[in-house]
Amino acid sequence: MNRILRTATIAIALLAAAPLAASAENVRMPVLVPITGILALEGTSQRNGAVMALDEKPGGVEAGYDVTDTAASPETAVNALERALAQPNVVAVAASIFGPQMLAMMPIAAERKVPLVTISGTAKITEMGNAYVFRFFPTDAVVKVAQARYVVEELKKTRVALVYQTTAYGQSGQAHLMDNFKRLGAQIVFEEGLAPAVKDMAPVLAKLKAANPDVIVLQLHSGPTALFVKQAAASAANLPIVAGSAMHQPSTAALLEPAELKGVCAESGSSPISGGSPAMEKFTAAYRAKFNAEPDAFAVAQYDGTRMVLDAIGKGARSASKVRDALATGSYEGLAMTYKSDGTGNMAHDAVIVCYNGSSRVPTIVKRYAAR
Amino acid sequence: MDALTLVQLLLNAAALGAAYALVALGFVLVINATGAVNFAHGDLVMSGGFLSVALAGALPVPGIVLLPLVAALMAILGLALSAAAYLPLRSRPPVAVFISTIAVGVMLQNSANAIFGAAPRGGPPLAGDGALSLGGLTLDRQSAAMIAAAVVLLAATQILLTHTQIGKRMRATAQDPEMARALGVRTGRMIALTFALAAALAGAAGLLLGNRYFVTPAEGGSLMLKAYIAVVIGGWGRIGGAVIGALLIALFESVVAAFLSQPIAEAVLYAVLLIVLFVRPGGILGEVEGRRA
Repeated sequence: MNRILRTATIAIALLAAAPLAASAENVRMPVLVPITGILALEGTSQRNGAVMALDEKPGGVEAGYDVTDTAASPETAVNALERALAQPNVVAVAASIFGPQMLAMMPIAAERKVPLVTISGTAKITEMGNAYVFRFFPTDAVVKVAQARYVVEELKKTRVALVYQTTAYGQSGQAHLMDNFKRLGAQIVFEEGLAPAVKDMAPVLAKLKAANPDVIVLQLHSGPTALFVKQAAASAANLPIVAGSAMHQPSTAALLEPAELKGVCAESGSSPISGGSPAMEKFTAAYRAKFNAEPDAFAVAQYDGTRMVLDAIGKGARSASKVRDALATGSYEGLAMTYKSDGTGNMAHDAVIVCYNGSSRVPTIVKRYAAR
Repeated sequence: MDALTLVQLLLNAAALGAAYALVALGFVLVINATGAVNFAHGDLVMSGGFLSVALAGALPVPGIVLLPLVAALMAILGLALSAAAYLPLRSRPPVAVFISTIAVGVMLQNSANAIFGAAPRGGPPLAGDGALSLGGLTLDRQSAAMIAAAVVLLAATQILLTHTQIGKRMRATAQDPEMARALGVRTGRMIALTFALAAALAGAAGLLLGNRYFVTPAEGGSLMLKAYIAVVIGGWGRIGGAVIGALLIALFESVVAAFLSQPIAEAVLYAVLLIVLFVRPGGILGEVEGRRA
């Protein structure tokens, strides 16, 4: 009798769920990210975050997807977007972290009225009045404030040596850091831009030490960050380093010995391997099991963005315009933070500072900076 | 800047230049043998770096032990490269070889990305960690080992090319392939061996650079550019010129950049390149006739 009752209950539940599942299954969220080329490292994290959210089918909500490598050129990204939008029922696109590709894809998304869910850091993408762009990673306007405030307010350092990359990423960070340090009353006693291909950091370290700073602030990509930290440790610079988000990436820390990381901090949108909540720890364990890799803030941000889209679909938004409206007006409690649009498509407004203690490659979150 | 710091920077330049010299040497060997530029050469260096990362994971031995193995495996890759991208196209215009080697380079880069991922990886140390201190100067073991290994490899290559029968045949093929063929030298085989030697040197450079400077799938392009500049400055087709050019690039990166900013030092390097081309179009040691495609 019990068995019949249980079978009947399951059957009724499946029948009740069937209409929702059937309609939700038809919608699609293509993943168009750079898995090769100059942003392959960050793009792979982005891909993993989106795929993880889509594969989880939270609450039974399912969106079909294909992953397309947008590589390193805007043309490739545009072609990928055109192909993806040729498919029916595309309600949103997980779109490239690479700014030039986003800028090329945005007019097409606006014309076809399909929202792009991205973690691109390029400031311009949310400054062009495009209502179909949603950025789930905090911009330099958020994280550089946190980085500068931590240096001045927590470390009490006021003589800053700033080393940045001569790329768009580096120059954007440099401009924000200069403004913020000036506002906070700190002095930039040394600054220099480095091309990403620079291998020997000894020249910049020699000049930097001569300027007698009390802190080193970095805005470098992953490899150069590790090179700088390694060579700074070898040169016995004995200065605290507060780096950009590249330093929070487990793949960057993996290049260094724990002792070389002593006194090194970094800004980031989040730090999944640092834990902080049961949900984040569950995500990190699932990510490791699925991808055999350590998650970073980029993966979490794209995961949260994709989950917000799926949440909207689950609540009945089954067209691109309804998903866009949900992203533009709603808020979502993600793993890293609560996301809500500022009216221009910027969804992430919090930042964290992580620091390494010299005995482990897993950093600790030492300060959170929430939107003010 | 005090004298001690300057000497320290010169030591760094010597270590970096030693590795660049190996890169440039392999590059110029192929130019001499074929008259064509191997645009996959930087990606061969990258491949050697990742190969050393993979071997170090499987065999927990110092990099100096892995070096011959990396060189041998890379030599096989060089043979495959010549068979796939040069020998079938040798009678075609040089642009065909340019394109085929570019294609091979992209394939190597994407393969490394697929197998190892996009993150930078650290190669094995050549002879352990730590540093040698002498009168306030610090030379880490890796840098010292890089210089020593590069000097040995450069000397071994020179001996191979000048004191062995096979080396003499390789040089004969490079200098006048038609005459060499008429004298019974199997020039196709010599060219394939030159590719193998160049790839072995590239692999060794990848191992030397991988520990101190890491290795990423996308770095082949910048290494290729450095090799090209080294050869143009030193003298197109000149082995000694390639080494001089490589050391000059390292000098700009490690020493001149300490007096100017890094971007200005790079700009000055390119200005020097232009001056060399203007004043001495054949490079410092002069161009070997008939080598430019």
